Amino acid sequence: MLALPNECLFEIFTKLKNYNRCLFSCLLVNRQWCRNVVPILWSGPVPFENRKFIRTCLMALNSEEKAELIPFNIFLPINVKLLFKYTSYITTIKILSDDGIKKWLDLEGPPELAYHSDLNYIVRDAIETIRYSLVLMFLRTSNNIKDLKAYGMFYSKTTSLLIEIADKSTTVTNLSFWKNRLGPEGTKLLAEALCKNSTLTFLDLWV
Amino acid sequence: MDNGTSNSASENETITLKSCDGIEFHIDARIANRYTLLNNWNGGESACIPNVNGKVLEKVLEWCEHHINDPQLNCGDDDSRRRNTIIEEWDENFLSCDQDMLFEIILAANYLEIKPLLDLGCKTVANMMKSKSPEEIRSAFNIDNDYTPEEEEQFRKENEWAEDY
Repeated sequence: MLALPNECLFEIFTKLKNYNRCLFSCLLVNRQWCRNVVPILWSGPVPFENRKFIRTCLMALNSEEKAELIPFNIFLPINVKLLFKYTSYITTIKILSDDGIKKWLDLEGPPELAYHSDLNYIVRDAIETIRYSLVLMFLRTSNNIKDLKAYGMFYSKTTSLLIEIADKSTTVTNLSFWKNRLGPEGTKLLAEALCKNSTLTFLDLWV
Repeated sequence: MDNGTSNSASENETITLKSCDGIEFHIDARIANRYTLLNNWNGGESACIPNVNGKVLEKVLEWCEHHINDPQLNCGDDDSRRRNTIIEEWDENFLSCDQDMLFEIILAANYLEIKPLLDLGCKTVANMMKSKSPEEIRSAFNIDNDYTPEEEEQFRKENEWAEDY
């Protein structure tokens, strides 16, 4: 193949945005292709409900974020590094379900946290803490997050973290809170945060 | 239709373009204006196009001539233009050339900043890659795999969510 410069490769892969399976194949072709594909793949919609996605993201936690998980006997390897700063390219976070986290716990987590029942409060706590650490990491590592969607959550560490975003000037322009049971405290915090916000251009509150 | 630059060239004016290997093409000045082919022209008798050989320049000019009346794209269309992979029949036939020529056209369009042609070439290559495995892509485009097996495995693992999403 005639060598194409990166700018041409980038143009080609941009045409494949959202064809994730195809981008995945391209990424495995060689190093030059990989460097051009990764930013395109990770800046598209990413699946928070997918176990394999959760697994990669957990590797991106820093030592403090990993430490949050130790009380649950979740010991993530400290010295293994991802090959790319994948999460820095993320533009959209949609937390529509915890299925990815649940499946990860089931298959790759400590046996006592295998996901048997919603009623087990330790499992529920572990899920909540993993979700919280991941959101913390997304906010720490990506300067490109524009679109944030949270669905069906109770008032928790994660929701208060998400509410905080509305409070600050961030890159986030689209915020959706769907069917979240924030309770009086969460709702009050959200209302106060929105009063101060000057960066949002789209807001979708659906109770 | 206002194509922006047409008023500076009259109907029958021709311009001579010279490829990097010295082949001359006499073209309608409106084509040169519409696709700003004269960036390297210093006002002499003919405009030189360095980096593009006669064979490729002929193809590029054929495309420009066919698309002389296309409207100029607005900047706002950029994202949708980049994303869609639909190709018109004439363009499809035009680019059903051998692979080396296709890549030469992409390189030339990039060099000459003919965006719609660059786009078209990139779409064509993108369509050729759809539903192919990494190995099939490598063999289709004759690309060497420079990953170590461990590295390839790690990239696969870190990105495999994309396979089922």
